[in-house]
Amino acid sequence: MRRLPVYILIDTSGSMKGEPIEAVKVGLADMMATLRQDPYALETVSISIITYDKDVKQILPLTDLADLQLPEITTPDSGPTHLGAGLKMLCEKYDHEVNHGTINQKGDWMPLLFILTDGKPSDIQEYNNIIPIVKNHNFTSIVACAAGPKAQIEPLKKLTDNVVSLDTMDGNSFRKFFSWVTMQVQAGGKSVGTTDSVELPAPPAEINIVI
Amino acid sequence: MAKIIKIKADDGSEIEFYDEIKAQGGVKDVYFSPSKQYVVAFYRKPLNELKPSEKDRLQNIVGIYKERIFNQAGGDYWKKLFAWPEKSVEWNGKIGVVVPFYDKKFFFNGGPFDGKEKNGKWFASAKLRNKFLPADQKGTWLSHLHVCIKIARAVRRLHAAGLAHSDLSYNNVLIDPLSGSACIIDDDGLVVPGKYPPDVVGTPDFIAPEVLSTKSLKIDDPNRKLPCVYTDRHALAVLIYMNLLYRHPLRGGKVWDIDDPAKDEEMTMGEKALFIEHPTDKTNRVKIDDLEKSQLPQGDPSKLPYTICGPYLKTLFDRAFIDGLHDPQKRPSAAEWEDALVKTTDLVQPCQNPNCEAHWFVFDNTTKPQCPFCGKEYKGQLPILNFYYSPSRGRFMSENYRLMIYDKQTLYMWHVNRNIGANEKTSNEDKKPAGDFHFHNNQWILINRRLDDMYEILSDGSKKSIGIGDYVPLTEGRKILLSTKEGGRLVIVQLVNN
Repeated sequence: MRRLPVYILIDTSGSMKGEPIEAVKVGLADMMATLRQDPYALETVSISIITYDKDVKQILPLTDLADLQLPEITTPDSGPTHLGAGLKMLCEKYDHEVNHGTINQKGDWMPLLFILTDGKPSDIQEYNNIIPIVKNHNFTSIVACAAGPKAQIEPLKKLTDNVVSLDTMDGNSFRKFFSWVTMQVQAGGKSVGTTDSVELPAPPAEINIVI
Repeated sequence: MAKIIKIKADDGSEIEFYDEIKAQGGVKDVYFSPSKQYVVAFYRKPLNELKPSEKDRLQNIVGIYKERIFNQAGGDYWKKLFAWPEKSVEWNGKIGVVVPFYDKKFFFNGGPFDGKEKNGKWFASAKLRNKFLPADQKGTWLSHLHVCIKIARAVRRLHAAGLAHSDLSYNNVLIDPLSGSACIIDDDGLVVPGKYPPDVVGTPDFIAPEVLSTKSLKIDDPNRKLPCVYTDRHALAVLIYMNLLYRHPLRGGKVWDIDDPAKDEEMTMGEKALFIEHPTDKTNRVKIDDLEKSQLPQGDPSKLPYTICGPYLKTLFDRAFIDGLHDPQKRPSAAEWEDALVKTTDLVQPCQNPNCEAHWFVFDNTTKPQCPFCGKEYKGQLPILNFYYSPSRGRFMSENYRLMIYDKQTLYMWHVNRNIGANEKTSNEDKKPAGDFHFHNNQWILINRRLDDMYEILSDGSKKSIGIGDYVPLTEGRKILLSTKEGGRLVIVQLVNN
């Protein structure tokens, strides 16, 4: 059976410490709880979480939604934002974990990728080098979320047209962002319009889509 | 707590709802009323951007179409089968509909999904049934047949009114296998041929092949195929297959496009769609290695082939997924499905294995009946009533219709007389049991409860009356005339001994 892999990259650099990372954890937990009550998601969705600060860790390997337990997410007191290294690990894990299928066997759906950051990539050279490689991996969609006033949109726009910005980093705006992400993940099982592909509800008012 | 908004509906009645979006669909936002009697669903697209035809359609749905179906004799019956929009409302420059709240049996009560709607997908997927659905929510195979009857009946009624649903799927059909009920929701996207075109092509898994394969054409291209009664028929056949067999009829092992799974999916369900149980073309057989453990055994058609649904449904599945898959005119109508499903309920036997999850199975017409779900062989005598009707006095013809007997089963008027149907029009009088069957003192008997002209036909051709309260033993070859009235049936008993 085809799985729908969902990769989530979370910024754990020093500036995320405290309320922001706690709000992300709550948002993730709500997202899992909602998806676990959705029959379409339970049948198909697998999730992986990669965190990046000065180190990059895949804290959750690609796991069936039903079987996964959210791991502890920790942040150092301070330090850089190695998003480039995070994306490099993403590509390695993609190659390794996603079933590409063969002529005799159906593979997985093209994965969804969500990237969350509150700053800008510190490893700018590596970041710029990895972008074409990420784009060469087939994703159904890449959504980047720039959270808070210090998040820079420009670097993210090099990666995807689909950049969402959160004005504040409190629990409420993260909760709304993750519930919007949840709807994106659930969309594959919904009605398809006659004119365009899938018509999704607009993101909540607190977040802004940058086009 | 959100504040309560009070507005007047188009018919002048007062409507109340909390100013808080409780659910979001593809095109609408849903608000709850304090009374929990109804919800109000507003289209996100503002009123001034709606096409006149979209507004007109809504007004007809809460107006003339509602009248046609619900405000007639038998209308109350249909209220249970549809969550039909009752009124239209306008608020904040948006148009919306007032829809009755779904009956509480369509929500999980307790367990891991407490309070969630019973989306049909829970019950139609092997993985979800085997891994997540609590055992006490699954219902039996017979109750799933009852669910399918309700769905087919509701679709038949829509089509009879000249309407097509256009987006039948498990998201839009809530089901309750515990009571054997179904309710069709989201009835505001209805398609009226030549008048209101569809907004959606449907939901993945249920979109007809011709709609998918012409999806890339412009909407006004004459070759573009859009949802209509014939595509509803495809979706209905898929719903019935999935609700009885817990797998998708077209989702087999064949890979059409290695590079792009979305393209492969489009071919699988569209242009190249092929029945996984096609009798001769084995291209799209299910590959067991592709399945997860939780999808077995139901995911394996060689273990549970579609023929376990009995001869009436087999014929219709053949027409839907072989002859009619790429030839919409050949697909069975909703009325044909309803009829075949009702007749199939007369072929079921209780499984003698008390732990069998299905509880019921269709008699396989062999001398050694066996439950296909758990493998338990039936032990003991098994009476079968074969029905005959009389086209002219003294002549009796087989109807290819039979009734399997089990202990404490009921004989109904639609068995007694071929002119009486089992559907929404059945009168209360005709719903009363006409007789019942028992295994009593080591023999099978039929007790007559209310038939005043029931006779046994003896071997010399003479008639012996079986009065009300009397019984007749069911032995091999015995002939029983259930009624002498027009349409009255003759029964010939067959006995399987094991």
